[in-house]
Amino acid sequence: MTSEEIQAIFFAECEESLAAAETGLAACQQGTQDEDTVNAVFRGVHSIKGGAGAFGFIALQAFTHTFETLLSDVRDGTVPLTEPLIELLLRALDTLSDHVAAAQGAGETPEDTALLAELTAAQAANAGGAAAPAPEPPAPEPKAKPAKSAKAKPAPEPAPEAQDAPNADLDIDLDAMLDDLAGAMGGSSPEADSEDDDAEGRWEMRVRPQAGAMRNGSEPVLMLREAIELGGRCELCDISEVPPLDKIDPETGYLGWHFSFPGDVNETAVRDIFDFIGDECDLVIGRGLAMPPVQLPEPKPGNGAPAAPAPASAAVREPPRQAPSAAPPAAPAAAAAANQTIRIELGKLDRLIDAVGELVIAQAMMAQRLVSEGVAATEELTILESLTRDIQESAMSIRAQPIGSVFSRVPRILRELTQSTGKHVRLDVSGESTELDKTVIERLGEPLTHLIRNAVDHGIEEADQRVAAGKSPEGTLTLSAEHRSSRIVIRIADDGRGIDRERVLAKAIEKGLVPADVQLSKEEIDQLIFAPGFSTAQTISNISGRGVGMDVVRQNVKDLGGRITIESEPGKGTAFILTMPLTLAISDGMVVNVGDQTLVIPLANVVESLRPDIEQVKGLGTQRAMINVRGRFIPIIPLHASVGAVGATEAPDHGVLIVVETEGAGRAALLVDAIRDQRQVVIKSLDTHYRSVEGVAGATILGDGRVALIIDVDGLVARSLSASAAQTPTQAQEAA
Amino acid sequence: MTKSTRILTVDDSPSMRALLNHALASNGFDVAQAEDGMAALDWLESNEVDVVITDINMPRLDGFGLIERLREGERHRDRPILVLTTESSDEKKARARAAGATGWIVKPFDPAKLVAAVRRVTH
Repeated sequence: MTSEEIQAIFFAECEESLAAAETGLAACQQGTQDEDTVNAVFRGVHSIKGGAGAFGFIALQAFTHTFETLLSDVRDGTVPLTEPLIELLLRALDTLSDHVAAAQGAGETPEDTALLAELTAAQAANAGGAAAPAPEPPAPEPKAKPAKSAKAKPAPEPAPEAQDAPNADLDIDLDAMLDDLAGAMGGSSPEADSEDDDAEGRWEMRVRPQAGAMRNGSEPVLMLREAIELGGRCELCDISEVPPLDKIDPETGYLGWHFSFPGDVNETAVRDIFDFIGDECDLVIGRGLAMPPVQLPEPKPGNGAPAAPAPASAAVREPPRQAPSAAPPAAPAAAAAANQTIRIELGKLDRLIDAVGELVIAQAMMAQRLVSEGVAATEELTILESLTRDIQESAMSIRAQPIGSVFSRVPRILRELTQSTGKHVRLDVSGESTELDKTVIERLGEPLTHLIRNAVDHGIEEADQRVAAGKSPEGTLTLSAEHRSSRIVIRIADDGRGIDRERVLAKAIEKGLVPADVQLSKEEIDQLIFAPGFSTAQTISNISGRGVGMDVVRQNVKDLGGRITIESEPGKGTAFILTMPLTLAISDGMVVNVGDQTLVIPLANVVESLRPDIEQVKGLGTQRAMINVRGRFIPIIPLHASVGAVGATEAPDHGVLIVVETEGAGRAALLVDAIRDQRQVVIKSLDTHYRSVEGVAGATILGDGRVALIIDVDGLVARSLSASAAQTPTQAQEAA
Repeated sequence: MTKSTRILTVDDSPSMRALLNHALASNGFDVAQAEDGMAALDWLESNEVDVVITDINMPRLDGFGLIERLREGERHRDRPILVLTTESSDEKKARARAAGATGWIVKPFDPAKLVAAVRRVTH
C-alpha cells in the first residue's frame, strides 16, 4: 500500500469523522448530552488530529489540537456544554472541514487565528480553577517553540529528531520539554551538555528496575540489551539488594545494572529506552565524579575514585550493604535455587522405571524360588522386599507431578465459556498438590476440559433460570483431587440442573441406543450419556453438543486405566468422578487360574469374590446364567470360554466368582477356577510387543517367570455379554 | 528469528491501521488488525499474537477496557501491549501504565520509533 493510498483512506475517514462529530453536536443541541454523544464528537476530532499528525498536515493538526483540548475538557465535565459553546463548536467544525479540504488540495487553508483564540479562551475560562494554566505555552502556534531550539544539542546524533522536524508538531515539543524536565530531575543535564568537551570520556548509567518493572508484560532485560546495542557496556551487576531466597518475589527486580557509554552516545536515546518503565525503575545518568557514591568492587580505570559524596540523587537508593566480592556478577542466589532441581531427559526416567519394574519381578521370582527350595521367611528377603518397594515408590514419585498443572488451565477455559455462553461460573479448586504420573496428567487435560465444558454448557443453567430456582445467578464448579488407596479421585461437580434423565432416556430411545420399552436404573440412564453418538444439546453449540464428546472422554479415561462415574441429582447438580491410577506402569492385580492359564484381573475392577451356592445361580436358557448377589442379579461370564482355556471349571458352584464393576455394562461375575494371589504387576503393553487384542489390557511376568495376560475387564465383559443371545438393554447400548 | 513477530493493531481509524500495518509489515512483522476492543477480543480468542498495539479512544470497548480484559486472564497477563497516544505527558504515561499497558507509542510516530517501541517489548 502506498502512502497516497493510505492518505486516501484518511480523507475518507475525515469525512466520516466530521459527519459523526456534526451529528453528535446536533444531538447535543437537541439536548442529548450524554457521555456517548460527547465522546463521539471528541473521537471524530481526535481521529482527524491523529491522521493529520501522521501525514504532516501541520495547520490541520494544530487546529484539531486546540479543538480537541477543549472537547476533552467538555467530555471530562470541566467545561459545561452551554448553548453558546455548542454554537462555537459547530463553527469550529466548519473550519475544521475547510482545513481538511485544504489538506486535500481543495481550497485555501482557512484563517483560524481568531477562532483558535476563542476556543482557547472557552477552555481557559472554565478550566481555570482546576488546572493551573500558568506556564501554559502558546499551544495554538504550530511553529517550533523556542524551548525546542534551546534544548537541541550540538547533536552528534541528529537522526530521530531531524526526522520529526518537518512535522514540528506539538507532541514532539512536549517530548522535548519532558526530556528537559527529566534531565533536570536526574541532576544530569549539566553533564550531558558538557559531554562533547570530553570526547574520550565515557559516561555512566545506573539503572535498577523496581517491583512493577516486570508487570504488564515489561521485560527490563530487553531494554538492557537495547542499551548494549546502542554502544553501552555492562560494567557491573549490583546484587546488593538481592534478599534471602525465601524473601524473593519472582516479579520484583533486585538487580541494579551499571553501564558505561562512549561519549558520543546520545543520553536522551538511552533514557528513551527506559521510558516505558520510567516510574518503576531508578535511573541515574552522569559521569564518574558526579555519580552518587555507589561502591564498586573495583573502581573502573579512568573514573578515578568516586570522591566527594556528590549531591544525593533522589533517584538512586543507597545500597544497604556492599556487594559481596568481585566474583562474576551473576546472582549466586539464582544459582543456589537452580541447584535444587535437575533436569532429566524423560527417556532416561522411563528406562529407570522400566528397570525398577524388572527389579520387582526379579525380586518376586527369587522369593518364589526360595520358597520352593524350602527357604521361607528369611529376614534378608523381607529387607529386600521393603527396599524394592521403597525404590519403586521413589521411582514413581520422580514421574509424579501435582495435578495443579492441569487445574490451572481451568480458569481460562471458564472465561472462554463465559464469553461464549454468557454464564458466569465461580471455580472452587482443592487438592491441586495431589501428585500423579506425568503421563496421566498430560492425557487427563483433554477429558477434563471436555467435562468442564459439558458442565457449563449443559449443567449450569442460565442466570435467570438459576435465580428462579432459588440459586445464586453465578454457577459454581468444584474441582477436587485426592488420593484414595493408591488411586487418585478427581471430582468435577457443578451446581446446575442435574441430569434430566427423562430427556436422556428419550434421546437414547430416539437414537436407537436402547429399546423403547427398556427399564433402566438411574445410574444406567446416567451412563447413557457416554454412549457413542449421544448428545442431548437442544441446539448444536460450538462448545459441546457435537455428540462426540462424552464417549471420547470415557475412552480417554479408560485408556489411562481409570474409571468415570456420575452422581447427579435433579436441580442440585452433577458430579463426574474420575478414578485414575497413580501410574501406568504398575497396577494391582488379582492373579487367577482358569484351566491351564493364569490370568490377572485388575484389582480396580474387582468388587468382591465369592464361592456361590447352587441356589444362588439361575440359568437363563442354555447359554447364560445369573447369580443372585444380595438380591441383585448379575450375569456370570465363564472366563475360560472367553480366553479359550482348557480344562477349566464349568459349573459356577465349583469355582470362584469374581464380581467386577465395568463402565459400560454394569456388574458381571467372572467365573474362574481359583484365586492364586493378589499383588502388584508390572504392565507390559501388548501393543508394543505384539499387537492390541480385544479383551486384553496387557501382559505381565509372574514370579515364576511365566507370562500372564491382564484382562481388560470392561472390554471383555462388554464383548461377552453382547455376544450372548439375550441382550439386556445396557449391553445393547454398549453394542451400539 | 524463526518466526516473525505477530502484532495485532487495534484502532477504529482505518487510516491509522493502514499506517501501522504499512510501517510494521515493511519491517518484517506479521500484522493483523481489529477495529475496536471488542473486535480485538474476538480475534484474540482464536488467534495467538506476540504484541498488541491499541488506540485508546475507540467505540464499543476502548483501549484501556481492552487491556483490562486481557490482563484479567492468565493468557495475556504478560502480553506486551502498547497504547497509541497523542500525548506524552507523564500523567498520560502513568495512566497507561496503571491501566496495564506495557508502553506507548506517541502519535504521530515515525516508522523507526514504532519499530523501536515494538522491539523494546518483544524478543
